[in-house]
Amino acid sequence: MDSIGECIRAVRQADSAQTLLAATAALATSDHGDSVNRDAITCLVEVLGFNNPGAAVAAVDGLIRLGPLAVEPILDSLDPRNYGARAWAVRALAGIGDVRGLELLEEALASDVGPSVRRAAACGLGSLRLEALAPPPRASVRQRILAALLGGCRDGEWVVRYAVSVGLESLGLRLEPQPRERLQLLEALAALGQPELEDTVVVRLRAVLAQQRLLAMAPVEATDAQAQGEAPAAGE
Amino acid sequence: MPPAPSIPPAQPLPGHGDGSGDPISESEALARLRQSADQSHQYYAAWWLGRHRSRHPEAVPLLLAALRQRRPRDPLAGVEENAVARNAARALGKLGDPRAIAELLAALDDEDDGLREAAARSLGELGAREAVAVLQRRLASGPRGAGATRSDSPRLQEPCEAMLEALGAIGVAGSDVLAVIEPFTSHERPLICSAACRALLQLSGEVRWAAPLVQLLDHPQLQVRRAALMDLGAVGWRPALEPICRTLAENSLKLIALRGLVEQGEHHGATIPIEAVLNAMDSLL
Repeated sequence: MDSIGECIRAVRQADSAQTLLAATAALATSDHGDSVNRDAITCLVEVLGFNNPGAAVAAVDGLIRLGPLAVEPILDSLDPRNYGARAWAVRALAGIGDVRGLELLEEALASDVGPSVRRAAACGLGSLRLEALAPPPRASVRQRILAALLGGCRDGEWVVRYAVSVGLESLGLRLEPQPRERLQLLEALAALGQPELEDTVVVRLRAVLAQQRLLAMAPVEATDAQAQGEAPAAGE
Repeated sequence: MPPAPSIPPAQPLPGHGDGSGDPISESEALARLRQSADQSHQYYAAWWLGRHRSRHPEAVPLLLAALRQRRPRDPLAGVEENAVARNAARALGKLGDPRAIAELLAALDDEDDGLREAAARSLGELGAREAVAVLQRRLASGPRGAGATRSDSPRLQEPCEAMLEALGAIGVAGSDVLAVIEPFTSHERPLICSAACRALLQLSGEVRWAAPLVQLLDHPQLQVRRAALMDLGAVGWRPALEPICRTLAENSLKLIALRGLVEQGEHHGATIPIEAVLNAMDSLL
């Protein structure tokens, strides 16, 4: 394998879309320990701004692989004048799942002009990792994720509503919602599953599947009772 | 609702991201279409009514009037009435009103091949069985006639791709229809082959028309891979699940194709359950 310095040099000297893609892919799959990876991250983040979709996909994959270490450099690089770079940054943060990306993902789902960016944001919100947070901030982050996804249910593009269903399922299965939050997200999925309210068949099917998976984990009656402060009776 | 056709509808204002464009109201769109002094306003209004699937009772009559305002092509004219007519034809396909069929059928014999293309797609969307005979007639001369390149442009004599796709969408599977389509599977342009295989697979359900489509997913040109994705999605060919996921193309297009596998694919490949397709879609988000 080439040294990371050579990989970075190859990216910066690439003189065609094809060589840039190959060099970015090589850099994205190299791994030499945290201190050297920082240089790789800086370079991969630069590639997001090059207006080369193939290379950007490879760079996003590389940044996702490098994980939390890449979050600050991605956030620091955000340039409101470079829409393309911003869209790729959203995709990378959605894939990394670090809670520092929350605000950008919320904004992207609510107002990005690109359906593929809103789609990635919806999916990314549901897969944020909250385990490292103390309980109080965890609860507030979870509420923000839920609010963002509930807003996304009204998106005009079917693929975004599909991703919102996936995000809601993931929130419900992984982030231990409070009983009231669980009811809210089950109601939202029920609405996405109804022919009178949702005209895209595949969105309805996905929302119904999400409901089934959530209800298989815990039937709604039990959590409903907990929401009203009642302990489930013994033997039920 | 079928997946998007392989050529996206014209959007008058590029750069507006999701294509929702200038936020005007339905009544404003109807007013813009009703006037005729500013054709760029009409053009946008016609597109708007289709995009938003207007249910207003005036929408179809106004679009029909806009379709009728076409005239013989004049390359020296600035913004042509024909551009408005083409957008009106596209919108009429999206509104699902059978009153549009007679006018669209007449447009299939218009001199403007762009209008014939828009009319063919819309008749396909409307499932207009009345259109089959005209489409057959216009394609009957085969790849060397209807499918020959024009002397004055890289376009073909007939908008073959749209016409073949329309025949597949309408669904009349007579042996005479299949016989007209089949020669186009060996057309020199891969996009035409793809459209022909798509139509034959839709009409006959015969596996032999799926293999060439799946092969085109590996074509060196991205444009061809994209078309094959859309065509497999339109047919709902579930056995193509794995090859679609592996194709080098945007996830957005693969998601549209997989949506087709879910929604159109009940009769193809009972061995591949819907949940497997949904799982594949989840991993492309």
